[in-house]
Amino acid sequence: MFNLAASRAQEERLKEEIAEHIALQAEENIRAGLPPVEARRQAMLKFGGVEAMKQDYRAERGLLFLENFLGDLRNAGRTIRRMPGLAVVIIVSLAVGIGVNTTIFSWIQMILLQPLPGVSGASNFLLVEPRTETGGYPGASWLEYRGLQTQVPALRDVVAAQMVPFNVGEKGQTERTFGQLVSGNYFSALGLSPAIGRFIRPEEAVRIGANPVIVISYDYWQTRFRSAPDAVGQKLRVNERDLTVIGVAPRDFQGTMPPLKFELWAPATLAPALLGAPRALEDRSIRSFSLIGMLKPGATREEAQVELSAAMAQLARDYPDASAGIGGEIIPFWKSPRGPQRLLISGLAVLQGVMLLLLLAVCGNTANLMLARGSARQREMAVRMALGAGRWRIVSLVLSENMLLALLGASLGAAIAVWGTTALRMAPMIGSFPILFQTRVDGLTLAFAMLLGASCGFIFSAAPAVHLARLDPQEGLRSSSNTTPRSWARKVLMGTEVGLAMVVLIAAALYLQSFRSARQTDPRFQPEGVLLAAYDLSGRNPDEASEREFAARLLERLRSLPDVEAAAIATNVPLDLHGIPSRPFTVQGRVRTEPGQDRAISNVVTPGYFKVMAIPLLEGNDFAEMRDTAAPAQAIVNEEFVRRFMNGADAIGRSIRTRAGTFAIIGVARNSVYDAFGEPALPAIYFSYRDLPEIQGEIHLRTRRGNETALTSEARAVLRDLDPMLPLYDVRTFSQHIERNLYLRRIPARMFAVLGPLLLGLAAIGIYAVVSYAVARRTKEIGVRLAFGATGRRVVLQIIRENLGVIAWGAAIGWVFALLISVRAMQNGALNLPVFIGVPAILLAVAALACWIPARRASRIDPIAALRHE
Amino acid sequence: MKQKTDVLQGTLALMVLKTLDVLGSLHGYGIARRIEQISGDLLAVNQGTLYPVLLKLEQEGAIASEWGASENNRRARFYRLTREGRKQLQLETKDWQQTAGIISRFFEAKAEDLL
Repeated sequence: MFNLAASRAQEERLKEEIAEHIALQAEENIRAGLPPVEARRQAMLKFGGVEAMKQDYRAERGLLFLENFLGDLRNAGRTIRRMPGLAVVIIVSLAVGIGVNTTIFSWIQMILLQPLPGVSGASNFLLVEPRTETGGYPGASWLEYRGLQTQVPALRDVVAAQMVPFNVGEKGQTERTFGQLVSGNYFSALGLSPAIGRFIRPEEAVRIGANPVIVISYDYWQTRFRSAPDAVGQKLRVNERDLTVIGVAPRDFQGTMPPLKFELWAPATLAPALLGAPRALEDRSIRSFSLIGMLKPGATREEAQVELSAAMAQLARDYPDASAGIGGEIIPFWKSPRGPQRLLISGLAVLQGVMLLLLLAVCGNTANLMLARGSARQREMAVRMALGAGRWRIVSLVLSENMLLALLGASLGAAIAVWGTTALRMAPMIGSFPILFQTRVDGLTLAFAMLLGASCGFIFSAAPAVHLARLDPQEGLRSSSNTTPRSWARKVLMGTEVGLAMVVLIAAALYLQSFRSARQTDPRFQPEGVLLAAYDLSGRNPDEASEREFAARLLERLRSLPDVEAAAIATNVPLDLHGIPSRPFTVQGRVRTEPGQDRAISNVVTPGYFKVMAIPLLEGNDFAEMRDTAAPAQAIVNEEFVRRFMNGADAIGRSIRTRAGTFAIIGVARNSVYDAFGEPALPAIYFSYRDLPEIQGEIHLRTRRGNETALTSEARAVLRDLDPMLPLYDVRTFSQHIERNLYLRRIPARMFAVLGPLLLGLAAIGIYAVVSYAVARRTKEIGVRLAFGATGRRVVLQIIRENLGVIAWGAAIGWVFALLISVRAMQNGALNLPVFIGVPAILLAVAALACWIPARRASRIDPIAALRHE
Repeated sequence: MKQKTDVLQGTLALMVLKTLDVLGSLHGYGIARRIEQISGDLLAVNQGTLYPVLLKLEQEGAIASEWGASENNRRARFYRLTREGRKQLQLETKDWQQTAGIISRFFEAKAEDLL
């Protein structure tokens, strides 16, 4: 089938042969006495019309090729149409296997090959990371960046970027928008062209505060400016400064810290003005920039690393305060120490491996299914061979059928992959960060899908094709072949699929159950009726006193709202995506025997918190008011704390010491859920906002009646009143907050919900395939048995009994495996009986059914027809 | 109904096979000369028509070819009979002899024999 390249070689060969032929004839003519010119002319005449002959030659060759190709195709189509049920099963299972693999591949490819959407060649970018001796990556300072720009000649360009949350908008209508402060060469080094307008020029990032310009993202231009062409030149109020919009970034560009999505880019020299930090760019110990470098053509990563280490060593000598002990490391983009890339890649790699194995299992099933059908086609193949088809033609025939099935499966799989990647593109905000994974199916991914399809086609046609080609036509025409294929490989495949299905189904059932119960667990506080909102004083550079005062005033105003029953501010919200931090501490009256320090969950809250959350105080009182200067530093602990660290003794009055100071326990609160549903009881310490004010806060509001969302506008108004340029962001109800937390758990839940039945189906198909193949092979023997008086039922039972052995083994091994995993993974060692009994029951029932169907077909065999097989 | 060219091609193929069977490995020109000698004027002109036949036989697997050195030490393509080709030759030879036998018996049959 693949002679296209050979055809040109054949043409050349023909030309040579013709030339030689005519030469030989000419020599003969010369020997016969003709003069050379005449000899040659006669020779050519004798040869005849060369062009006409060449046409015939080509026609002959082309005819064969075309004939074969078209014939194979037509035949494949016919064969497939004759087995619609089987074809559908094969195509669909292939499609799912290929689709899943392709989706995962597109993710991996996105991370490795196109890490920066909109930027070509980003996979070659390198991160220039300062590195501490303890292995941390603290980032670079602005002056360090300026120095490194020239001291690493192996890199043609080094750009710097800092992530900043901006407050954009006019008084009272500010929105929290994320952007980057960038170096002057940022856009040119990335090789980007603006959608409209222009980018920041290098000279615009030199003098501090000199150029108040800003570049906006394409999406921002579309939503905020409604794609107006005159957006360029308009002013945007950012952190109370007026900046001029000079251009719009290209469509897909979202910044240089994937998967975070940025909307604004301003010169780094505006940092002091925008951040309210006058020494932001001069202080070498303020490390807030991340650096990206591009290799000069011809330079290597090792060269850059050597130069970087030398430069950092010099900096450590010159500026010991800021840079002592800090070296540098050149890291490829996808191995970034920030962001999820590394975790994702390792997770995805594992997932891809598993999915490829799944695909292999699908191929195994398909091979068995085709073999089961194949024994019926032996006669057909034998007839073909007797009629003169060569062995290669037979193989090519079988190959073309399977390839057609595989390619149909691959096309459907590609469609599934497209749906999969677009479904995953829907990005939520994680916490309050906007995130976007730009996955898509492009040429490379499609090629991958087709390659998988072709490989699958080869894999599951290898066995049947070889088997048929080795057929002796005489034998094939006469009887059912007596070959003894290695049946244990088939049995092993069947058993493995059953075992795998068992493990995944049990895991899925357990997970789904825990997920469902999580949503119904009592969190031990009352989330209904509570509104959450966040504020951030970062742009203002406040000190402790102003933070405290701001919080106090905010609380006062919020409490005075008519619909607010209770108000509080806290630094952490329970059931948050990233968990609540814990702090080490020592408490009076407890001596710790193990090494290390005691730790407890810590949350800094204002007085009134427990009222808002409806957590009762079992002993003692709430915190002193915010403006109370007389009371000493306070702390409130929970029941579990008392139980674990104080042995039930009186906690009130004892002192707790942490890195932040000493606090006196003034109350004991009831336990509640902090991190995640289903967690064991955790000890917790609540500190007072009065003692440890923070720059950010989460406002908790309990509404007096009705809908808590109605409080939003009122709360916004209060904040605006206090500080017109401060936006209220991340406004959500507590219930929405919990849903968001569960969102991440929902993804694996959905995956399990799909994978479980999928594997069950796969195992069922696998069993069905193996059993029908065995039945087909032993048709004659079964016919004889039936003729001798065996009842249909006995035949069925015998077949089922033979195969159930392997199935039972596979199921048992899988069951034990699942048991071990669950004991390891679950905190409560209780055995989930319904799952561990119910799932195997379902699996075995399905397996028995898959066995029974072909077995029943065996019992229906007409003994006479079976015997006539001979 | 077979065309005249088909008959010609069919018989030509048979002649090629027989030639290779008797003479061993030959190049295209050698085959043409031998057939010309035996068949007289069948291939007196248009020796070139041999080559499509050679191609067909090669594609069917009846003959195989490889490069070798001709009498004047130049490069030439040599053909030889394969095992399949030998089988095919035997089959077709038997067929021809059978057909020839039947036809000749028909021609010899006189009116009396058939009554």
